[in-house]
Amino acid sequence: MPSADAPLSAIDPVLEVRDLVTSFDTDSGRLKAVDGVGFSVRRGRTLGIVGESGCGKSVTAFSIMQLLPRPMGHIDGGQVLFEGRDLTQLPPEEMLKIRGNRIGMIFQEPMTALNPLHTIGRQLSEVFLLHKTTDRRAALAMSVEILAKVGIPSPEVRVGEYPHQLSGGMRQRVVIAMALACKPSVVIADEPTTALDVTIQAQILELMQALQDEMGMAIILITHDLGVIAEMCDDVVVMYAGRVAEVGPVDRIFAAPSHPYTRGLLASIPRLERPRKTRLKVIEGLVPPLNQMPAGCRFQNRCPFRTDICAQPPPADFVTPDHQVACHRWRELPAFQP
Amino acid sequence: MKPADRPAPLLEIRDLAMHFPVREGVFLRANNSCRAVDGVNLTVAPGETLGLVGESGCGKSTLGKCVVRLHRPTAGQIIFQGQDLAHAKGAALKAQRRQLQMIFQDPVESLNSRHTVGDIVAEPLVIHEIGNAASRKARVRDLLAKVGLPADAGDRFPFEFSGGQRQRIGIARAIALEPKLIVCDEPVSALDVSIQSQVLNLMLDLQREMHLSYVFIAHNLAVVKHVSDRIAIMYLGRIVELADAETIYRAPRHPYTRALISAIPVPDPARRQQRIVLQGDVPSPIHPPPGCPFHPRCPHATERCKVETPALRPVGAEGQVVSCHYDL
Repeated sequence: MPSADAPLSAIDPVLEVRDLVTSFDTDSGRLKAVDGVGFSVRRGRTLGIVGESGCGKSVTAFSIMQLLPRPMGHIDGGQVLFEGRDLTQLPPEEMLKIRGNRIGMIFQEPMTALNPLHTIGRQLSEVFLLHKTTDRRAALAMSVEILAKVGIPSPEVRVGEYPHQLSGGMRQRVVIAMALACKPSVVIADEPTTALDVTIQAQILELMQALQDEMGMAIILITHDLGVIAEMCDDVVVMYAGRVAEVGPVDRIFAAPSHPYTRGLLASIPRLERPRKTRLKVIEGLVPPLNQMPAGCRFQNRCPFRTDICAQPPPADFVTPDHQVACHRWRELPAFQP
Repeated sequence: MKPADRPAPLLEIRDLAMHFPVREGVFLRANNSCRAVDGVNLTVAPGETLGLVGESGCGKSTLGKCVVRLHRPTAGQIIFQGQDLAHAKGAALKAQRRQLQMIFQDPVESLNSRHTVGDIVAEPLVIHEIGNAASRKARVRDLLAKVGLPADAGDRFPFEFSGGQRQRIGIARAIALEPKLIVCDEPVSALDVSIQSQVLNLMLDLQREMHLSYVFIAHNLAVVKHVSDRIAIMYLGRIVELADAETIYRAPRHPYTRALISAIPVPDPARRQQRIVLQGDVPSPIHPPPGCPFHPRCPHATERCKVETPALRPVGAEGQVVSCHYDL
């Protein structure tokens, strides 16, 4: 969805993605995993990106960070604007100064994000040695300090330990410490709690909120869990099949979803307050494979409101000045009932 | 339902324990044991769904595997249709297994990628020597239609199907022998939200149609509550609370159940709630804490909780039991 003229971008964006197109070379040709995605992240706020497996939410994150797998992954178009520069045009050595320093990243699986052969202290020090200091002792002291900040008990002992000696929740705290080490202005969190149990997830989400209040970074939170979006985010981007279906403030998207896909998602989740053993509403069918995407709206094969016009590319209409939807028929849909 | 109205249970688990030896040291001697399931009592009525909820490592999957006898329990009884399966073997076990099936979490790992879908679904019929090749083929066609797969699915291989469709294949295999009880171990947690509701609907339809009982194991309490009649909450190999699904959600008594419910992110920004955030991690089942297993994380723990293990006792609503010393 083009956001060049979107009012959201007028509100002091710290990072802006415009018309991003990312593709991968595969056996069946070059496929666009992300096709014209745009949104802006407000300073100090949390933007959620929600969607199902394969919708392109993680590819969007890796595109922002310039971490696409080479040589298969390419950014074919669009811009990622951050601190006055387009990250897609930066030479790799310039990007090194931004990645981990101005933009941090929290990965899904804390065990694979950490190197099992190095101590926690050594891995954390690396970040400081790359961006902040050349003194190993100073870097280690900074590591102890940041570990204390993310709530790790006895951090001066933990710096000498290896990742396998920590529990899953503690490891994710280390990954968060690493992402926040240089006080970035944006942190991208890709499914940060998906691998964790609910009670540990609650700890980590609470920690992320507390750190945001204290340090003021913006968070891009990628998740498939609408509950996490509702609890954590100010704005939300709903992605479907490599495109933005709907974007807006989280309260509006949940109370008055305008895209049939968003409505379908919200209606299909089991909720504690719903009557038991009743049939859940479903979104029929499956996401088409990337090499068989229909022309026009990509949700058309599953959409209960489909008409002939859906074979045309959907417009990016404004429902309200900050709520945008990519659907031909959003005005005609009946009132939403969750 | 009053206890008297309850039909005789289809499955009754008595004092079930499953301890795995932990081999340590140079000689790999089993000096220790992991108490994955430690004294569990449960019943499942015909046509009922019993939800089993807990965090990773609480023993819920081990309990499920004991019920279908993929594990041989260390102690206790598994009385299924009046027969104790805990130590059954050979023909007696095989006969009971016809009535007792399982659906697995990972629809990729649990289907043999070298067999056609038709062969996978027919396998239980072959093992139990039911029908001949032609009648099995017809039965497979019916089963695939019943779970909503295309007619030509039988000749294709699992990799040609999406996650949701693969889970349907697993369900078709589980219902092939018209079982009475199916143990479902996280059947939808690997699926996307829009696919999850399709599979849950199918399971509810099949239950009604075939009068199935389910033991539904999952960590997502919202999903479990939607499909279950009663819910048992597990922590460190023990049941800490058991009640009908509505009561568990509206009037939980155990501090762990309360924390678990409050930790679930609610998909409604208007209802951002005050969470009870538990400190610390689940202790290891190799060295469970003395006294109440929950006391190191419990916000209400007292000296008594550190030494005395609480037994399950009836509280509040009919059929609600909780293992906590206090009425919180």
